[in-house]
This record gives sequence, structure tokens and C-alpha cells, in this order.
Amino acid sequence: MTVTLVTRDEARLAFSCAEGQNVLAAAEAAGLYPPAMCHEGSCGLCQAHVLEGGYEMGPHTASALPAGPGGVLLCRCLPQGDLTVQLPCTDAQVGRHQIPVREAVIEAMGPAGAGAVALTLRLKPDAAAGVGADFVPGQYMELAIPGTDIRRAYSLANLPNWDGRLDFIIRLLPGGAFSTWLGERAAVGDALTVRGPLGHFVLDESSPRPRCLVGGGCGMAPILSMLRHMAEFQDSTPVHLIYGANREDELLTVELDELRATLPQLGVTLSVWHPAPGWAGFTGTAAQALEVHLAEAAESPDIYVCGPPKMLDAVIAVARERAVPEAQIYAERVQS
Amino acid sequence: MFCFQCEQTSRTDGIAGCHTAKGVCGKDETTADLQDVLIYQLKGLGQYSARLHKLGQLDQAADSFIMYGLFTTLTNVNFNRAVFQELIAEAARIRDRLRDAYEAAAVKAGKVPGQLSGPARFAPADSLPGLLAQAQIASVRAGVEVVGEDVVGLRSLILYGLKGVAAYAHHAEVLGQAREEIYAGIAHALDFLATEPVDINALLEEALALGRLNFTVMEALDAANTGNFGAPVPTAVRTTPVAGKAILVSGHDLRDLHNILEATKDKGINVYTHGEVLPAHGYPKLHAYPHLVGNYGGAWQNQQAEFAAFPGPIVMTSNCLIEPQPSYRNRIFTAGPVGWPGIRHIKNDDYAQVVQAALASPGFAETAPEQTILVGFARDTVLGVAGTVVDAVKSGAIKHFFLIGGCDGAAPGRNYYTDFADHAPKDSVVLTLGCGKYRFNKHDFGTIGGLPRLLDIGQCNDTYSAIQIALALANAFECGVNDLPLSLVVSWFEQKAAAVLLTLLALGVRNVRLGPSLPAFLTPALLNVLVEKFGVLPVTTAEADIAASLNRQAA
Repeated sequence: MTVTLVTRDEARLAFSCAEGQNVLAAAEAAGLYPPAMCHEGSCGLCQAHVLEGGYEMGPHTASALPAGPGGVLLCRCLPQGDLTVQLPCTDAQVGRHQIPVREAVIEAMGPAGAGAVALTLRLKPDAAAGVGADFVPGQYMELAIPGTDIRRAYSLANLPNWDGRLDFIIRLLPGGAFSTWLGERAAVGDALTVRGPLGHFVLDESSPRPRCLVGGGCGMAPILSMLRHMAEFQDSTPVHLIYGANREDELLTVELDELRATLPQLGVTLSVWHPAPGWAGFTGTAAQALEVHLAEAAESPDIYVCGPPKMLDAVIAVARERAVPEAQIYAERVQS
Repeated sequence: MFCFQCEQTSRTDGIAGCHTAKGVCGKDETTADLQDVLIYQLKGLGQYSARLHKLGQLDQAADSFIMYGLFTTLTNVNFNRAVFQELIAEAARIRDRLRDAYEAAAVKAGKVPGQLSGPARFAPADSLPGLLAQAQIASVRAGVEVVGEDVVGLRSLILYGLKGVAAYAHHAEVLGQAREEIYAGIAHALDFLATEPVDINALLEEALALGRLNFTVMEALDAANTGNFGAPVPTAVRTTPVAGKAILVSGHDLRDLHNILEATKDKGINVYTHGEVLPAHGYPKLHAYPHLVGNYGGAWQNQQAEFAAFPGPIVMTSNCLIEPQPSYRNRIFTAGPVGWPGIRHIKNDDYAQVVQAALASPGFAETAPEQTILVGFARDTVLGVAGTVVDAVKSGAIKHFFLIGGCDGAAPGRNYYTDFADHAPKDSVVLTLGCGKYRFNKHDFGTIGGLPRLLDIGQCNDTYSAIQIALALANAFECGVNDLPLSLVVSWFEQKAAAVLLTLLALGVRNVRLGPSLPAFLTPALLNVLVEKFGVLPVTTAEADIAASLNRQAA
């Protein structure tokens, strides 16, 4: 089914809507955000009028419904076929996920340990976006190799800021296009195009549950950003970090002591699968470390995991075995 | 979770009140439950504070905390669970301090300190699951099966009115109007609620006493605002953008606005007011800042679209926050009692990050053609032309006054107020206050007897000014307020409106038209009392209500 929203200034915004999906949910899934608040048929903010097509209205407060024929609340309007709906607002008032494309220059690059590079970019001032770096901790950017159409996605490790700074931790893959450029040709001062922020791997900050953050390899970048965000906001939610690697020397240098100082509730498990003799941390995979953590946890935490595919699958399998509800598992894949 | 404190409360499945995992306002169950626990604790603080006041002592920091705590629980103020965990821990510490102070003061006065019960003895759990398990005892509906819906409704009316009183009192306090009478009144009301009162007449009397207290509070707030920033004067406010970097200030708090104006002085940043900060332009000492350039947007419920389109940071200084959308999450800030998880909060009046965000944001690229609206018709201005007004009434040029005031909201039924203002006869004056005005304040009302037909008195916080105008008119015509050719048409949304309603009832003002819907916490029996005893009128249609208002005058 196709839904077409017609704005007051006669812009037509079309998107598809699944069986049983309401118009607001379908619009939001398509990256369109008409004014809406409760999403439960009560507040009346998402009022609109159906111009053409059949629909059913789910449970709602009668007084929230706008007067006149075809009066609906988008959050309760279930199309029964193609639908055309008149919105009371203008095109500019419909929120959108417009993904900015901006120019940046390499400000610094250096080894981050274990064959990874710490890359810092500085965004150039932009007429529409200003000079700041606007993203939500956990999101990623696409970086284009200069002079090509080749883009690679990397998670941001730092915090949103008004200086335009973007920090990445990038593992150099032998033969990889971006890795080859970064390892062999890139230099401080080089300009490149970045597209983002992108991704939905972000903290659910309204959740009352404890958090367990699991990072592997360069998957630590978004996890670090989340932890730094919690530290900046002095977020007191119980949080446990599991940082896994195959060997000790693959663990990146991260500021765990500083994070512990600002997040006193932070628990940390460093898990190394094949450690050298004398390793004082947990011996085993990140998934095994999670198993231990869940066995000891008083309540089922929200789990945020970012890492290579095999690690991700193993961690998710453990979470499921331990009956962590699907809605509490947030996962982001990185290249190994 | 159960919450029915605001006008938009859920009425979807035959239950009047939000009772699922999330309220209509976006407040989640955990936060709502923690707010209930905090309110329960504040009753306990009130028990000790009220006794301390009676012994001639006070703990001002504790009384301030009580007001602040109540304010955080108003609709659209604070959605941050973590803040409530901290406030609950703080409340427990303050309760202990008050208990010790009360017991020492009683002994010193030669009395045996009373052993208090109920909220005064409540020990909050030290974990989140523990606190949530305790929330049931603190629910507004606790004990309803024993005491009945009417008692719960009246207790709620007092509690919600008290929240409104606390919000106004907090605004006054931060501008230097800290009064013992107000602290004691708030503590008394909490102490009364802590007794779990069941007598309907006692509850009604207490509600009216709270209305009288609120009149004092609103007078203090008026003194705070005018004392710091001068009495408002008629001022044309620009409603179109000026090219340059920009900060938007929303909420109600004039002190915060003043601090932001100071922090942005000579930095090439323009400051715009949003929502209920609009009346700030009328205050001479705020208007004097050349970079307070104009007003942007409309009432609170449209903020998502407006904030998304604003090219700079936004500061929410008090209530009226709704869920920040991703497109502006990193450039919206909360201050004072306001909060949202993951949104930056201003501490210690430090606006450095806001300035930084403004300079990093694009700002308005172009200056739009100038459009303006008039504000600043507070009591001094209107009373200054009282002679003209009285003459116009006596000559028949002005036949009627309509005060169309209160909150705005998203419900389609609020078109009633637009229709009412637009269809009020041309020989009537429309007075307005609150953010409900955004429904019609850019319409052309013309002039009458040399005065603008639409007179903007100010914020909902300026009800004192409106009451002074009504009293002065009654004085000039040598009659009572109820005998004036004046009709009050009130739109309510949150708890400050409950406080104002109680004040109007306490002052004996009758025939207040209240809408768009009536409070869900008032039972049919209680509504009947309001209608029969206090002359409160539910709204019908604008056309019929205008006719009825004019007929009442003719009769």
C-alpha cells in the first residue's frame, strides 16, 4: 500500500505502508516525522484528514479527533489500500532524517595498537550545518576515499561537539581499499567527504534497566563513545563493560581508569581468548564473559554489542539462552 | 503508573488517566512512579516543616527543595529517571535533618515532640527495583477502594493545585521573593495531605485556602518580575528572523532569560523568545538588550517542528518540554527543574556551552521582512488608561470584556478559543494571557476607543496582573467583579491552571468558562459542586458561549 501525505503547501510525500501498520509508523520508517507526541491516539497532535482511500481507526480518544469528514489521527489510522492524507502543517514542518554530506580534513592519525589507526578528522564549516559535529553516541559515518566513489562506514569514538571533531578507530585490513589508502597514501591535511551520522545503534536512555556493553576489536569505538557520553552526563545507570580480544596485544589502549573515575558504578571485564601466561583478566571469549556476567546479574540488562560477526553471533546466542528479551539486545556489526 | 494530572490525559479505554508503560506526554512508567514516591516523601518533609514553622523556625533550604521537587513533577517538566533517583535520596537526607530540627525545637520550647506517622516515617529503598515496588503506596489513587473517588479527586485537586503554587513560588524565589508565609503555606498543605484527609468539606476548605495562598504567591511573582525588570510597557515584538547567529529561549523563567542575555552580550548572537517567554519583551530592563531581537514560533505543542527548523541552540527554562527529536537533540538544553535523559542540562547558570553551540550553528542566513505583535499590557499599563477604558464603557464604545487565557495544547477542541476570540463582537475588548494566545495573537483585532482590541497581559504566571485589572475596573464602576461586563474563558492544560482556578474560586469569581475538557480527576459529584457552588461553566461552542456571556450582561 502507498500512503501519500499532502502538506499545506502541497508537497506530496509518498511512502509504503505495510498491512496492519499505522500511517505515522510507516512515515517514520520512511524517515518522515510529522508532528506527533503520544503515539497512542490521545494527544491529538498528529491530526490529519484523509482525502482519498479506505482506512480504519484503532483505539483513540474521541475528543482528539479533528472535525470534518476523513478526520484521523495518523498514529491510529490503518490504511485499507492506497491512501491520500491532508496534513495541517507545511512541508518544512515535517521532520526528516536528512543525512548531511560534508567536507573534512585529516587532523591527526597514528597507531592505536593492534594494527589499528586512530584517525581524527575536522569538519569544514558548512552553511547549512554550521561547524559542529552532530551525532548520537553509537552512530557511524561513511568516509569516502578521495577521488573515488568508494565509501566505508566507521563508528565514531568521541562525543558530539561544536568543534567539528570526529574520532575513529580503524583496523587496517590487508588489501582493503580504505585500509590501503589510509595506510599508504593518506596524510594529515588531506580532505575527504564524510556522510552521516547514520545508524540506530544508540543507547535507550529512558530504559530503567542496567546496561551491559560488549565490544570487540574496533567495535570498541561506539562503545567508548557511549561510555564517554554516560560519563559526561554523570549517568548513574549500572553499567558493565566487556571488552574482548583474541590476544592481549589486540586490546586497544582505552582510558578505562578515567572512565572508572567518572562512572564509579562501571564494572569492567577484559576478556582474552588466548592470553599469554600471567594474564590477570578473564580468559575466554566475550560471549563467555557475558555468560558469567548474566549468571551473576540480579536482573536482565540491556545489552549493546559491537564487534566482528562471529563475536556478535556468539554474544547474541548467549543473551538468548539466558532469556534476555530481544528488545533488550542492540547489536552493530563491524568488519573483522 | 497512574497519572491524570493534565488535560490531555489518556481516555482511550474507558479509564480516565494514563496507566500504561508511557503517558500521553511521553513520561515513562519508571519516571512517573519515581515522581509519585518523591511526592510522598515531600508530604513527609511538609509534616516536619509545618511543625517547625509553627515553632517559629524554618529551614529555608528544605522549603526551597520542597518547591523545587514539586515543580519537577509538573507536566512537561522533567522526564529524567536519574534525576528522581537523586531527588529521592536528597529528600531522605533532608527529612532526617528536618526531623532533628523539629525535635530539638520542640524540646527547646518545652514541648514533647510528636511522633509523626505516614510519609514522615517513609524509608525509600536504596535500589531502583526497590523504589518501584514502593510506588504503589504513593499513587494518587492509593486507598480509593476505601475512601472513594470523590475524596481521591479532591486530594488530587489540592495536590495538583499545590504543584502549580510551587512552580509559581519557585519562579518568584529565584528572583528574590522568598517569603516565609509561602513556605509555611506549602508545608501546611503537604502536612494536610499527609493526614490522608477524607472529610469532603475539610478538603474543599483546604482547596480554597490553597487558592488564597496562590494569590499571595502570584503577587510575590509579580513583585519579583516587575521589581527586577520594571513594569511591562506596550512593546512591539518582531516575529520574523534577523540574519545572524541565534539562541531560542523557551519556558517561563525571566531570570534564566536575563542570564542568557548577559552571557551573549556583544558576542554577535541574537536571542529569540519562544512560547511563554514572549511577554519578556515588555519588561524595560529585558527589552533594553539590543540582541533580544524577537519572538519565534508559537505555543509549546508545535515545538518539534519549530525547534527542528531553528538554526541554533534552544534552552528550556521551565515546563513545556516534549520529546526532543534527533535533529535537535544535541542543541537543546534544559535548565532549572527541566530534564530529559541524554539532553544537556545547564548547571550553575553556566551558559558557555550554549554560546559555543550558537556560534557553531549556522544561524539565520537572511533577515525576513519585519512583522510585529504587541505585548506588555500588564496591570500598570491597563490601569494607566483606566480613565479612557471607563469612559469608553460609559459611552457604549466598549460593551464587554473577554479574558481568553490559559494554556494551549494539541487537542482539536482548542479551536474553541480561536473561534471565541475571532468572533467576539467588535465592541468588545479581548484580554489574553498564557500561551493559548498563540491561537489568535497574530490576527488583526483592530482598535477600540483608541486602544488595541487585543490586550496581551502576559504569561499564565501573570494572572495576578489580570486580577488586579478586574478589581480596578470593579472599583471604578463601584461594583463587584462578578457584576462587571467581563467573561473569563479559561483553557487549562497543566497544574498551574489548577492553582489559578482555585484562586478564582477563593476570590469568589463566578462564571469561569473552563475547557476544552474538564479535569479527569474531578468526579461528576465534584464537578457538580464547582458548577452549583462556584458557578464554573464547562465550555460548549464559541458561538453559544459568546451569546450567553453577552446575555448574562444584558439580564
